[in-house]
Amino acid sequence: MNMSSSWDGETPKYLIPNPTPEDREYWTGARRGELRIQRCTTCGLHQHYARMLCSHCGKATVEWVTASGRGVVYSYTVVRQNGVPPFNERVPFVVAAVDLAEEGARVLAAMPGVEPDAVQIGMDVRATFRPASDDFGFVDFAPA
Amino acid sequence: MKRNVCVVGVGLSDGPVTPDMSATMLEAQSFRRALDDAGLETSDIEGLASAGYGGMHEVQLAEYLGLTPHWLESTQCGGSSFEFHTMHAYRAIQNGDVDTIAIVYGNNQLSASGRTLGTGGGGGRGGMAMPLPMAYEFPTGLTLVGAYAMAAQRHMHQYGTTAEQLASISVQMREHAGRNPNAMYRDPLTVDDVMSSRLVADPLHKFDCCVISDGGCAIILTTEEKARDLAHKPVFVRGAAGGMTHHSIQGMADMTTTAAAVTGPKAFAEAGITPGDVDMFAMYDSFTYTVLVVLEDLGFAPKGDGGAFVADGNLRLGGALPTNTDGGGLSATHPGMRGLFLLCEATRQLRGEAGAGQVSGAEIAVASGSGGWLSTHGTVVLGTEAV
Repeated sequence: MNMSSSWDGETPKYLIPNPTPEDREYWTGARRGELRIQRCTTCGLHQHYARMLCSHCGKATVEWVTASGRGVVYSYTVVRQNGVPPFNERVPFVVAAVDLAEEGARVLAAMPGVEPDAVQIGMDVRATFRPASDDFGFVDFAPA
Repeated sequence: MKRNVCVVGVGLSDGPVTPDMSATMLEAQSFRRALDDAGLETSDIEGLASAGYGGMHEVQLAEYLGLTPHWLESTQCGGSSFEFHTMHAYRAIQNGDVDTIAIVYGNNQLSASGRTLGTGGGGGRGGMAMPLPMAYEFPTGLTLVGAYAMAAQRHMHQYGTTAEQLASISVQMREHAGRNPNAMYRDPLTVDDVMSSRLVADPLHKFDCCVISDGGCAIILTTEEKARDLAHKPVFVRGAAGGMTHHSIQGMADMTTTAAAVTGPKAFAEAGITPGDVDMFAMYDSFTYTVLVVLEDLGFAPKGDGGAFVADGNLRLGGALPTNTDGGGLSATHPGMRGLFLLCEATRQLRGEAGAGQVSGAEIAVASGSGGWLSTHGTVVLGTEAV
């Protein structure tokens, strides 16, 4: 079974990101192959997803940085039932909550093509990128 | 001086499957039954709380019911909304702002939308802007069930909790449903039945997930003074607290601890009780894991020991913590949000009106609402006596 094929086709219109002014950089970064998150210049901590204010210290001093993409699986599930196309054709698939190894922020992402049995909490993973449209991309994770 | 506050009326609509009723009809029917239960009329109702899925819901409902309340409340924080409503109503009555408040909810979730709630993907089909976290989660294909599953998986990893232990929660809720003629599913269920039902999102099976039903519920609160003249022995609100930790599941820093770890001790302290004093537990069992993590957070079992606690049968009628004596969301009814049904069942227990599901001599009951993706939590302590 080639589990990755259904992730590679054209993105349905309702799944194409519809960025806000503050998070366009994340989606365009993913199209370029970069995991873009925010770092607060006041407290030094990172956050994902993009916000006006630092969710750790509240200051309006966030800047964009490119994360290494290395992370550790905090938890995951295998989605076996999802009625929304194209996910109904992709099941079963893994979705993981990944803690970025250097930056500490958590990213929730799919792990396309990865067999459910191949995923464990605590495993090392790396960010991969998948086009969503000409302008935007999705961040996925794969075993490191 | 703060006034004592009592639940004086409870009403359940027809259910759990009502294809000929709209959501508003279910609200109106349960409201009427709560009025009749209390021995009150619409002219007695000064405040209204409700939560639906659109703005100005409680205003629309008040007009429909012919009410012109001077106290309105529409906190919409998912399934726990009604514990928040009760907390806010309790404070308003306590402080003398208002005497008599109705809290009303109804939804024809099953008949209107089928069984899509947990596995239909996130909201936001059609390219509209989604609230930020959802814009990141929807394209991953994570479902509502999947979010809870991910949290359960972490608890299993961290504490050795097993899928069989989670399954035992469903088994015990089904036992209670067997005594409730209005429960959606009443046939006995075994751990093997749960384990062999299909996986929806690992590690949660079909029978780890609540039912999707139609249904409405209403409760009425008033002062102790007014309660004395009414139909039933009053049930006192002894303490209440609400809080949140995150919105969507990616924001849940520790997937093994909920806001109940804060709201529980706060409400218990106000009520002057400890976990050991609780005779009956009305717990929002959206999923088996919700029960497990919250009962730990409330102190019914040490953190990490919830699996052994539930597998020992403690949630059964006759166990240490009789839980969801009506069969709960897992077997009886779950019309989109269940928080208000918890308060209804807890009140019936404290009145001694729970029929075949009665906990003998129940004096303290806790209604514990959970909402969103384990995001919000409200704890309400009810008792047969004031604090």
